Amino acid sequence: MKKKIRVLIAKPGLDGHDRGALIIAQGLRDEGMEVIYTGLRQTPDQIVSTAIQEDVDCIGLSILSGAHNELFPEVTRLLKENGAEDILVIGGGVIPEDDIPYLKEQGVKAVFTPGTPIAEIVKFIKENVVNETMDSFEKKINKSLKKIDHIGIAVEKLDTAINFFKNTLGLEMLGLDEVANEGVKIAFFKIGDIKIELLEPIDEESPIYKYLQKKGEGIHHLAFEVEDILYQFQLMGELGIPLLQDTPKIGANGKKVGFIHPKASHKVLIEFCERGDG
Amino acid sequence: MREINNNEYHQWIKETKEIIDKFPERKKSFKTSSKIPVERLYLPSEITNSYLEKLNFPGEYPFTRGIQPTMYRGRLWSMRQYAGFSSAEESNKRYKYLLEQGQTGLSIAFDLPTQIGYDSDDPRAKGEVGKVGVAIDSLKDMEILFDAIPLDKVSTSMTINAPAAILLAMYIVVAEKQGVSADKLSGTIQNDILKEYIARGTYIFPPKPSMRLITDIFKYCSKNMPKWNTISISGYHIREAGSTAVQEIAFTIGNAIAYVESALETGLEIDEFAPRLAFFFNSHNNFFEEIAKFRAARRIWAKVMKERFNAKKKKSLQLRFHTQTAGSTLTAQQPDNNIVRVTLQALAAILGGTQSLHTNSRDEALALPTEESARIALRTQQIIAYESGVTDTVDPLGGSYYIEELTDRIEKEVEKYLQKIDELGGAVKAIEEGYIQREIHKAAYDYQQDIERKQQWIIGLNAFAIENEKMPEIHRVDPIVAQEQEQKLLELKATRDNYAVTSTLKALKEAAKTDKNLMPYIIDAVKVYATLGEITNVLRDVFGEYQPS
Repeated sequence: MKKKIRVLIAKPGLDGHDRGALIIAQGLRDEGMEVIYTGLRQTPDQIVSTAIQEDVDCIGLSILSGAHNELFPEVTRLLKENGAEDILVIGGGVIPEDDIPYLKEQGVKAVFTPGTPIAEIVKFIKENVVNETMDSFEKKINKSLKKIDHIGIAVEKLDTAINFFKNTLGLEMLGLDEVANEGVKIAFFKIGDIKIELLEPIDEESPIYKYLQKKGEGIHHLAFEVEDILYQFQLMGELGIPLLQDTPKIGANGKKVGFIHPKASHKVLIEFCERGDG
Repeated sequence: MREINNNEYHQWIKETKEIIDKFPERKKSFKTSSKIPVERLYLPSEITNSYLEKLNFPGEYPFTRGIQPTMYRGRLWSMRQYAGFSSAEESNKRYKYLLEQGQTGLSIAFDLPTQIGYDSDDPRAKGEVGKVGVAIDSLKDMEILFDAIPLDKVSTSMTINAPAAILLAMYIVVAEKQGVSADKLSGTIQNDILKEYIARGTYIFPPKPSMRLITDIFKYCSKNMPKWNTISISGYHIREAGSTAVQEIAFTIGNAIAYVESALETGLEIDEFAPRLAFFFNSHNNFFEEIAKFRAARRIWAKVMKERFNAKKKKSLQLRFHTQTAGSTLTAQQPDNNIVRVTLQALAAILGGTQSLHTNSRDEALALPTEESARIALRTQQIIAYESGVTDTVDPLGGSYYIEELTDRIEKEVEKYLQKIDELGGAVKAIEEGYIQREIHKAAYDYQQDIERKQQWIIGLNAFAIENEKMPEIHRVDPIVAQEQEQKLLELKATRDNYAVTSTLKALKEAAKTDKNLMPYIIDAVKVYATLGEITNVLRDVFGEYQPS
């Protein structure tokens, strides 16, 4: 994963000295980061909402007026309140050495005082943001995929397949459905928390028809349950994983679904399907 | 003394003698430590036309060698330390202390909410009350600030820009209550909004109404306050933002031209207001360049006033300036080294002929100065003034090949910039378009890169650094001041004549919609204790707020 680090350089409070902020912004840009500069006189509220909106990895706060003990902690508090505490917060300006432990306690990860070379700040951001971003991606992925929702199997004739799964294997059948836009009839079975989905094409336009033509009957896809399909789309986008659609579509039982392109998933067609009552 | 046979020289001698008869020099005669007599002025062996044109005698156009014929032999510069913090009570104590220590003028630092027109209880003021200067919410605070300081005896400089008219009004009313009429007041308001857009950031209103407030002040003062400097056109902050010496002078004079044009448009005569225009420059590290810069600035301004604006009065042609040593050159590392930096910068300002001087304190890269640090900074000026002997002759470096060449070169480079600004349609347009800000940013970034690549050494920072330094004691502002100010505001609003407040604010609002001079309306509102925030909000309603692009 190679993603550009996004940084918000912000001037909280009323202080108009932005030579340092501007130089840092340019220095980080020269290092290949994407940098947004807020301009002067931003409230902590404005800074946090810009950071979330712009989906930044790091906020750099600059104050030379002495208001840092009031305003820096307000930014970290608001980030926490908005569930965005994974954004790395660093600070700079005329800040006495004695105040730094307090600011760190309040969630400011590093404070750079006058005379700090840009290279040192770049290094700190790269080390801390990249790790945090990796961590948080892992956390997000682990959080979002908790179980398999169902296994899809392509069949020539739904009737004979139902007979096998119901009578020979003795699985509990949940019901039948038809998804017109996919051109399929579907039967559902239940085993534990997991469902088996049998799919029969109803016309020659159906992807299942094409699949059968090419590969014959067999396991067609693996579907994972997700909390939030849109979030899953965004995450895959950030990780550079291609999907078969730009936006989620409506699948069986009216659930929102989406598929990873099999070329990115070792030829296994993977479906995400949003949890719902269905 | 050598015999110099030159009519103009004899004329100068004659006029200078007349001045000295009225205002004697500090000593009857000046001597070096070896008892060698020190002349008032040293000259080339031959007074050529080129000399008269470029340098001339001090006090003569184009004033390259200084604006007075005797300079510091007559009177030293004003030692004016910028100070103010916390509450009006605390700052009043510091001013009295500084005056007792031999400081010769006051320089008021206001906190950021005051500078941006917010009362201390405004939510946007959170964390900033009393931090970088004193918090002033109403006339009440101003009365405390100048308590027992006789305003007819002391000259006061106020670093206030967007709400300058309001603070000036408060000063006038406080003086009136002391029995001192406005025409006796001497001092300066910074009142330079253009550099706020460029570099300092404490703007409120858009350029047009801001320029109108400034010319209202020019008009009001030209009639009522003949000794007051109505503006201090500032290169200081432009330099602090990272400009070069050439850019500092170019952009400052570019702004000055815009103010003059704006005043002329409202119908003022050039010689009515030009003598009260003052300047404010930075003194940076490159010693000789700084000296040359001040000399070049005087020459350029004199020419601009004479050739562009056709000014006649000598005082209109003279560039008078305050200097502050460069805050941005101070290091947080080995802070005592800063005393040495400040000494060199102060000396450059004096050799450049400044009228007043603020020397920074050694700990300003760490926090506001402690009392001890502020005292050392003042002592630095006193040592140069009373021990070094550099004050005993006028423009001691005049005629140095290096200094004169640098002076000429800076003048030429500045003229190129002025031409560029003219082409863009003047300073206001150049600022709106972002040209000036970009030029400064480029220079600032270059300088930073020079430091990081060690092409520019900064002692204690990228050269001769020490590991694990012990940091000195620093000055802290008690956060209680914010609560106290809020309490004072509550009491004020409960006890003042609120009917009078409403009606004066209403009158101000109506006047703001016309082109009437707003000074009298602001004075009326201040007198009945309308707050700074209330007055500013009325003007915000009418003028709108500046939005940087």
